[in-house]
Amino acid sequence: MNEFLQTQIITELEDAVGEENCSVKEIDKLTHSVDYFWLSRMWADRGRRMPEADYIVSPKDAEETSKVLKIANYYKIPVTTWGGGGGTQGGALPVAGGIILDTKRMNKIYEVNTDSMYIECGTGAIYKHVEWAANEKGYATMHYPSSLTCSTVGGFLAHRGIGVVSTKYGKIDDMVLSMEVVLPNGDIINTSNAPKHAAGPDLNQIFIGSEGTLGVITKAQIRIYEQPEVRRFRGFLFKDMSSAFKASREILQKFKPSVMRLYDNAETASLIKKIVGVEKPGAFMNVAYEGVKELVDVEEKILLDTFSKYGAEDLGSEYGEKWWKEKITFFYPGHMMDLPQMFGTMDTIAPYDKIEKIYWAMKNKIESTFPHVKFIAHFSHWYEWGCMVYDRFIVDKEYVPEDPVEAMKLHNKIWTVGVREAIANGGVVNDHHGVGIKLGRLMKEQYGPAMQVFEGIKKSLDPNGIMNPFKLGL
Amino acid sequence: MCRHICPIGNATGQERNTARARALCASVVVRGAEKIDDIIDNIYECSLCGACTNNCITGWDPKIFIQEVKADAVLNGVIPPYIKDLLTKYQQTGNVYGIPYDESLKKYFDRESNILFLVGQDALYKSANSVKNACELLKKAGVNFTLNEKSNSTGSALWFLVGKTADTKQSAEQSAEIINGYEKVVVYDPVDLKFIKREWAEWGVTVKAEIIGFNAFLIDLIDSGKLNVVKSDKAYTVQDNYAYSRELDDSETVRKLVDRVGVNKEMLLNGKETNLAGHLIMNEYMKEVQSKVAANRWENAKNMDCKTLVTENPAEYELLKENCPDGYRVLSVEEMISENIK
Repeated sequence: MNEFLQTQIITELEDAVGEENCSVKEIDKLTHSVDYFWLSRMWADRGRRMPEADYIVSPKDAEETSKVLKIANYYKIPVTTWGGGGGTQGGALPVAGGIILDTKRMNKIYEVNTDSMYIECGTGAIYKHVEWAANEKGYATMHYPSSLTCSTVGGFLAHRGIGVVSTKYGKIDDMVLSMEVVLPNGDIINTSNAPKHAAGPDLNQIFIGSEGTLGVITKAQIRIYEQPEVRRFRGFLFKDMSSAFKASREILQKFKPSVMRLYDNAETASLIKKIVGVEKPGAFMNVAYEGVKELVDVEEKILLDTFSKYGAEDLGSEYGEKWWKEKITFFYPGHMMDLPQMFGTMDTIAPYDKIEKIYWAMKNKIESTFPHVKFIAHFSHWYEWGCMVYDRFIVDKEYVPEDPVEAMKLHNKIWTVGVREAIANGGVVNDHHGVGIKLGRLMKEQYGPAMQVFEGIKKSLDPNGIMNPFKLGL
Repeated sequence: MCRHICPIGNATGQERNTARARALCASVVVRGAEKIDDIIDNIYECSLCGACTNNCITGWDPKIFIQEVKADAVLNGVIPPYIKDLLTKYQQTGNVYGIPYDESLKKYFDRESNILFLVGQDALYKSANSVKNACELLKKAGVNFTLNEKSNSTGSALWFLVGKTADTKQSAEQSAEIINGYEKVVVYDPVDLKFIKREWAEWGVTVKAEIIGFNAFLIDLIDSGKLNVVKSDKAYTVQDNYAYSRELDDSETVRKLVDRVGVNKEMLLNGKETNLAGHLIMNEYMKEVQSKVAANRWENAKNMDCKTLVTENPAEYELLKENCPDGYRVLSVEEMISENIK
């Protein structure tokens, strides 16, 4: 773009959000060009610059966001929404340049409503701040992902995030009452007065998971919960995963634990041994159950009786408590994989009759196609009908190509092979990290002709295709 | 990396004001993909409060690389002009603010005594009332002390501006030479106390005098009966200073002080988890942000219905006071003790 037009656009953006909230500085372009996507980090680590935005704007509310989107539509400039930059799928990377719309100034806690049990906040609020706001009134959000301290409310909504106590309290898409959204044309809408209704399809669920391709979520009402009277943990060791699946399915017909994590033998022998200290071979499972003490006492009895039927060794509460203490540590460098290793999490979800098959199919396919790739997994986020498998591949430094382009090619091949295998066996592209640019190419493979529904909505709401191009396969 | 805890990032909402962004920038410079000139302003937007370090699960200490970048900027001659201004003032006047201390404080200087009261540059040049109140409280307790202007150049201000350089070390050594002429040194500002106990020790700067923090000294005065205080049910809330709570691992002394005169009511983010409420040197070049930093801390206080904040550091005292909402008040520890003297 020529300097004259660029300057014209800058002055209009400055007018929309204030000069101090519109930047074309190197530092702001650079810091919005790398997120937690392995490829972007590797690219920077190899001394390369990732694609950068031309303008960084930080609106303070929906009105300013609306002005930005109107400008972007007029000049047909791409807009990529950025929250905390903690995404792993490259969803917030400005691969087509244009505008980065950073939401972090929209961080206001508008209301802690203890009558209806929700917090209304700007979507630029770091989720931990929302948790603090709940804690100050004696409540909790019960959304505890490992990225709690580095991701925004909007970030979690954009890619359908999940936390460690999801089995009892639900995913982020279960935790929203209502949202304010700025559409690509600049119109500001509210989704609904209540999340459950028969007034047509659920508008919340159209925008949750849309990764900034259909608009910008600027405000949300997020559920809060009473702090549990007690939270108890129990570790178990199963001989094999099949018996663990049967035991867990049975438990979930009876009550909902908050945490359920089943580790495969490989992850039990590596990560669980290292961090939690379980030495014995087998499949380790940690279960937490919480709430009113009288109910928890009953749940504990049901849990122990049920798991013993399936041959689980009761390891007591010590390992589970240690796990809870380290629940975030698991995912951080120094405790887990990091550059220069290549790695990725191919989480997928399926009903019980398919999930174990998916695990073995992905493991066998990846390990046979790429002999140097390690594959480990655990199963968390359980439902009455199925659960999620959190499979991870790891390539040690000596097998990662020096050349970043070659490294990128290998990375993408592993992903394609792994996710295709998940889809072929009844899984989905992703469970809770989203799609981004990383997996967009596989969306049509999962959805087939159903993809036209997404494409139709996209075309209707964003006819100029300015919102987060090349993401979500749209 | 953590986004939630940086007081500057929370005030500006800017991605660059996160530990992650600073680490990324420094790493990109090291890899030759960016010039240091383009990232240096952002380095000076860090207060070195260590909240990110304290919260870092992976054990990283961003303060270390931030100080290394500053030292590198000095070597490469790319210090920002507003930092150069402060350094010029330091060279010309001996303090980064380039101003003389308040005339009313003159009477506390250069008196015959074995006890040096080292108030630090922030208090001496920017918080005259703090110095006055603290000195009057010591006098009330019958403490024979003196102030010495040059002793206040401990090097902590220079260290903040340029990292560990020969000038910083020289400043520390000159200050040490003065304080070693006394038997006991009471250090008012925890930032200086931390600097003397940490950096001086690391750099081999010899300290012969007994060093004691102001809070601990006050406890001794109260417990030995030299200061007679009344305990009531007045509620006070401690604004922990990072230097005491995180760097010196002392969140207890100030709470003991509160306990002697009233009741401690904690607000969110206390003790080691404390959040900065203001930085006077940064206030010279990013005033609006420092006001927001203080205002954010007031929000924490308001949410927990804490009406009286007690500070242990002159920078936080001044900035919280400047941004104090109606119906709330901020007291320094000496003011809290003074209002409860029998």
